[in-house]
Amino acid sequence: MTDTNDKTPETDGGEEVRADGTGIVAPDDETPTWRERKERTTGLSRLTYEYFERARREDQDLRQESTYVERDVLGFPTWPHETIRNLSIASFFVGMILFLSATMPPHIGPPANPSSTPAIILPDWYLYWSFGLLKLTPINPELAILDGQKIMADRTYGVLANIVVVGAIAIVPFLNKGSARRPVEEPFWAAVGVGGVVFAFTISVLAVQNLVPIAVPLLFDLTFLLPVVAGFVTYAVLKTMREGYMYDLNRRYYRLRPPK
Amino acid sequence: MSLEKKDEFDHKGWMKEKDLTPVETTYLTALIWLDTRLRIVDYLEILETLYYRVNLQMPKSHTEQYNLDNKFWYWYPLYTLGLFSTLAYIVAAISGALLGFYYSPATSGDPTTAYSQIEFIMTELQFGFMLRSVHRWSAQVMVAAVFLHMLRVYFTGAYKEPRELNWLIGIVLISLTMVFGYTGYLLPWDQLAFWAGQIGVEMSLSIPLAGEWVAQLLFGGFTLSQATLQRMYIIHVFLLPFVVTTLIAIHIGIVWVQGIAEPH
Repeated sequence: MTDTNDKTPETDGGEEVRADGTGIVAPDDETPTWRERKERTTGLSRLTYEYFERARREDQDLRQESTYVERDVLGFPTWPHETIRNLSIASFFVGMILFLSATMPPHIGPPANPSSTPAIILPDWYLYWSFGLLKLTPINPELAILDGQKIMADRTYGVLANIVVVGAIAIVPFLNKGSARRPVEEPFWAAVGVGGVVFAFTISVLAVQNLVPIAVPLLFDLTFLLPVVAGFVTYAVLKTMREGYMYDLNRRYYRLRPPK
Repeated sequence: MSLEKKDEFDHKGWMKEKDLTPVETTYLTALIWLDTRLRIVDYLEILETLYYRVNLQMPKSHTEQYNLDNKFWYWYPLYTLGLFSTLAYIVAAISGALLGFYYSPATSGDPTTAYSQIEFIMTELQFGFMLRSVHRWSAQVMVAAVFLHMLRVYFTGAYKEPRELNWLIGIVLISLTMVFGYTGYLLPWDQLAFWAGQIGVEMSLSIPLAGEWVAQLLFGGFTLSQATLQRMYIIHVFLLPFVVTTLIAIHIGIVWVQGIAEPH
């Protein structure tokens, strides 16, 4: 204890230590902590802080209720496990693309000629569905009020059909909620999905109607009938499977607890 | 059949008792909506601890956590379709950049410069035929993989509650992939390209109200011309690459943040 008390405290660098809260040392217990400073703010940042505190508490509660036990090892190490696996999958896929392009190279047609329309105009295969939706002329409604006139041109109707299809796909997660994951758990939505896939296929076939040896009216009816049939079959099959699961579960239950 | 949903904290009740202004209500609703999906809280916490721990490990996957490896391996090909489409995108980007060295989007001359440049690439350029083939096939593969990826996500219910945002981004991405394909289809300026372009113009003209404006913007007029080809080229090699690459990064980033949704 060689220091004298009347000397002002200094840092190692020889600067004076300010004890009024403006320096690096808190003068006393009155100095607000960072947490308190956050709490004192007003308006939106205050609300953000309060919500985050609640959310953290919620997480903590869920963690404490959970039965999940942490392992010693938190996950596969990036190197070498993940890296090697990803590299091998990546080389396999790129190899597949190179193989396809070496064996089936594309050719090029005659140059553009605005004065001669080819007999068959088609986009790439992945746009057939959209192209097929442009051929919905027979179901463009005619209104009796307008003396049987169509409410919109056929091609406008086709473009709107595109928007309707994409919109229908977009709202799926807002309609179908809950924690069910497997198709068996929700036969209806699986049926909708299968119907949609079959419709994507049939509408593509409708797009290339010139190349299909089926009369166009029949093809048109099949386009809308097949998806419904496929959806219905899917629904029936999945319902039956679910009954089977329930039967197994019940049997196991009554084996363990036989009825008195 | 499925895990029971845990009770949530009553954030709505909390908001009700706070007597908030409309601005505050909107703000909090948006914040809560985003946070329940993207766990912003966790990442703030991580920022706090990041300084102390630099530890490169992959997060534990759902399969590991619930010990599903033994039941799961035969579904794996379906779960790697997203990686497959990303890879095809990268291959297409590289081969496309190389093709861009030789292609020029001009409709002058007979046959047009665009067409004869493709001819040059295919007949005279070293490896040109293969280069064009790789570009085209990677595009085809990407579209197919993206479509199958969407089916996988649908049938395993992976689009469900905290992941709606990514489903929407995915829909935008699959649409943009098709626009990529369409604009690329027009670039050789052969018969098929020309008449597919014609259909495109007619489609955009038949959009209610905004049709003429859209046709003018995308195709540079109501008939196909130099302007059309040039716009298709810029959309294909400049606009879409920026937009799609950014969206893919966000899409994968959100998957990273939220974790893979596997059925169980």
